[in-house]
Amino acid sequence: MAGGLSLYAEGTSLLHRAHPLTKGVVTLSAVALAFIAPSIGWVAALGIILLVLVALAGVLRRLLAVALAILLPITLLLLAVQGFANPNNRTVVFALGPIVYYREGLAIAALAAVRIACLVGATFLFSFTTRPADLSEALMQRGLSPRMGYVLQSALQIIPQTLDMAGRIQDAQRARGLETEGSLPRRARAYLPLMLPLVLSSLVATQERAMALEVRGFGLRVKRISRYEFVDSAAQRILRWVMALAVPGAIAARIAGWR
Amino acid sequence: MGILNAFKVRMNTLAIVLIPVCIAIDWAGHAIASTLKLPLFLDSIGTVLGGLLAGPWVGGIAGLITNFISSGTVDPIAAPYSIISLAIGIAAGIAGYYGWHKTWQGRVALYVLIVLVASIGSTPLNINLYAGQSGVPTGDAIYAALVKGGWPTWLAAYIDEASGDIPDKLITVVVAILIYFGLPNRYRALFSVWRRPSTEAEPAPAASV
Repeated sequence: MAGGLSLYAEGTSLLHRAHPLTKGVVTLSAVALAFIAPSIGWVAALGIILLVLVALAGVLRRLLAVALAILLPITLLLLAVQGFANPNNRTVVFALGPIVYYREGLAIAALAAVRIACLVGATFLFSFTTRPADLSEALMQRGLSPRMGYVLQSALQIIPQTLDMAGRIQDAQRARGLETEGSLPRRARAYLPLMLPLVLSSLVATQERAMALEVRGFGLRVKRISRYEFVDSAAQRILRWVMALAVPGAIAARIAGWR
Repeated sequence: MGILNAFKVRMNTLAIVLIPVCIAIDWAGHAIASTLKLPLFLDSIGTVLGGLLAGPWVGGIAGLITNFISSGTVDPIAAPYSIISLAIGIAAGIAGYYGWHKTWQGRVALYVLIVLVASIGSTPLNINLYAGQSGVPTGDAIYAALVKGGWPTWLAAYIDEASGDIPDKLITVVVAILIYFGLPNRYRALFSVWRRPSTEAEPAPAASV
């Protein structure tokens, strides 16, 4: 897990340079619209727009590799279950012996799969083009408590360290004869001996960290001044509002009979 | 005010510092379960432990940010379920306030509460996201069989989800409680801010704000 958790890929595209909040609003609205849009045509159109944006950001190949690893199994599972068992199933498409597949269920599965693809694509578009530090910095400039900013930042740093430590503890326990392979009960018994030392040592370290932060003025209730300035523009502000208002707009359209 | 008192926790620096550690424990719990190829997620041990140790805010925020980070890095589908993790952390925090983890009945109640929160909360999300499935092959096989047998989809979706949560949250709660009682007494006492009458001085070495 070296190199941290972030998926951020260096780049200079328009999306890389956009204000983190613009990207955040676009991502959230795109996900919401994917689930509000009534039919697979609309959702697929949204997905294509997202793909174009991904290509513009220059992260298409890397993003597809990560996204497909998530999407393929879930799509297959959806098609396998819904095509076979869905209360709307009427029209037989094909039969594999006793297992009959229906068109209605497959259509429902396809719609769900395309929506999930939009969710995954929009989220990764954000992750691939935004530094996590920039996101929390931008949120803090808009009023997020600096303590929450600390929680986000430090979690991103502590997770890889903890996973490294988990690996070391596993080696140490195996050297002492802990079985981590074999039957399920045997593997399950190895869980606690791996987990307990890890948790105890990371919890005990918190007290020192708290003191270190305190002496650096972490708890002071004073206004923080930011070193970073994000470039914002009128166009981005308008885009943020348009995307944010598109969501209630789409809900209203659905209620008014958008099919 | 009863139950609302559980939320009256002073978020001192130690409590804030505990949150990222709980998030890392959530991740490590899941990573170790994956290395051992256990058929469970075990990704909310830190959330439950944080709730028991330091109250509903620490547990809830730890749960929320755990999902938030995993949706931005490894699994965007975790994002909608952030709300469930938040609820699990808050539930554990309230249980911790009442000291449920100290008695056998309380421990069972904590387990049942967390299974209910997770399964009842996730079912509507599963219905909207996965047309009722949970995305776990074994649970979805049960779902397919039940729907084929004429069961209503919402009930099949609930049973599908619960079939995963019942074993998963059992191990989660057992491990969280074992860790809780494995901690040095002195360390646990640092967090029990709300169980102390306001007249008594706080022992927190990290000066509160």
